[in-house]
Amino acid sequence: MKKYDFIIIAAVLAIAGILFFFLYGTPAHNGKFVTVKIDGAITQTLPLAENRTLEIETAQGNNTLEIKDGYARIIAADCPDKICCHHAPVRRNGESIICLPHRLIISISSTEDNEIDARI
Amino acid sequence: MKKIILLLLTLALALSCTACALHGKQRYTATLPDYFDTVTTVVAYDTSEKEFQQHLALFKSRMNDYHRLYDIYHTYEGITNLKTINDTAATAPVATDTRIISLLSYGKEIYALSGGKTNICFGAVLALWHKARQTQPAQLPAMRALQNAAAHTDINDLIIKDNTVFFKDSQLQLDVGAIAKGYAAKKISAWAEAELWSSAIINIGGNVCAFGTKADDGKTKWTIEIEHPDIASSKSGIETLYATDVSVVTSGDYQRFMTIGDKRYCHIINPETLMPSEYVSSVTIICKDAALADALSTTLFNMPIADGKKLIETMENAEALWVDKTYHKTFSSGFERYIQK
Repeated sequence: MKKYDFIIIAAVLAIAGILFFFLYGTPAHNGKFVTVKIDGAITQTLPLAENRTLEIETAQGNNTLEIKDGYARIIAADCPDKICCHHAPVRRNGESIICLPHRLIISISSTEDNEIDARI
Repeated sequence: MKKIILLLLTLALALSCTACALHGKQRYTATLPDYFDTVTTVVAYDTSEKEFQQHLALFKSRMNDYHRLYDIYHTYEGITNLKTINDTAATAPVATDTRIISLLSYGKEIYALSGGKTNICFGAVLALWHKARQTQPAQLPAMRALQNAAAHTDINDLIIKDNTVFFKDSQLQLDVGAIAKGYAAKKISAWAEAELWSSAIINIGGNVCAFGTKADDGKTKWTIEIEHPDIASSKSGIETLYATDVSVVTSGDYQRFMTIGDKRYCHIINPETLMPSEYVSSVTIICKDAALADALSTTLFNMPIADGKKLIETMENAEALWVDKTYHKTFSSGFERYIQK
């Protein structure tokens, strides 16, 4: 083995490393997020770790989302059935609160795990 | 010369490694609010976001076809759907799509299997309850109106001949809510497995169809959580299931309901009392056949746990979990293998 060989090997490994990096990419964030979807489109993604109260306006009506102490829940809404307000606070990956009359979906997503695949 | 060979071999090795990364499928999810008056979620493994979006577009188009055909509330141009049949089938036989004919024929089979507990000809009664849930403030339908409607729910008045449907009773109305989602889930997921994905789990408003494996790795089971019926509590699921190549369906009093005073009235109506069913909080069925699972969940919801247990034990490959009004769990004899990882 000569010095020249080491340069070739190092160069090849570097190219492979760069390719690998591009193909897998790097996760930009870690942790859990609250995703707000209206009519199928994501309107907001908020960290579950930051407390806040948010008024969500949809074409069909309004819902108030509260993110507090690692939980997300709907604390008020002007929909007819109020099923979204009765729903338990969500915190785990894949959990969601749905307000069908307002076509609103609040869901928890995570970059870390995807333990639950379906919830019924 | 040797050096060149070494260089080529190393390059080949490096490229094959990156090719591995290309072949690894990734998990993608979608939430669809537009079909069957409920929310559908899809988890599937594909090689790229672009591929997943292409597959999802095909999936949505197929969902939309079934949604329109099985819709009893709206008509669509150029389609003879269940709403058209409800509006016109008492006048003369209506020719319709084979997907409707097969659904209605299945409805007749389920009527026989359930001893009338699940009846697709119960539309006249269910329409009164549907209207009551939509009215603000919520109000119970009058018992006399319910009884009058119940006189027009005989499944023998539904005449299916070749590709036509006819109502012998002019006030007969179809409501396929107890079986249509499961039936569509079965057909659509079989198609998706053949045409779109090697591994996916599809949840059409509580009708779960799983095929392949989690992570598309050939071994990991899917994880399915059954919600706690006390949705106002902050408790997580009441049970977690692990399974592959099965369908799981839950009927629960917490899914769709109206509240009058302090009392919750659920959306499943007992054909004997004409009132919301009061036997249990939820029933979960696991079996291969998604259509059967859906029909059985409604059937068992409409009977005492002891009667349901007798029925389920006569069926091969179908298991049930009951959660009663005090959140106590009862399992059928073969259910437990699904709660072990």
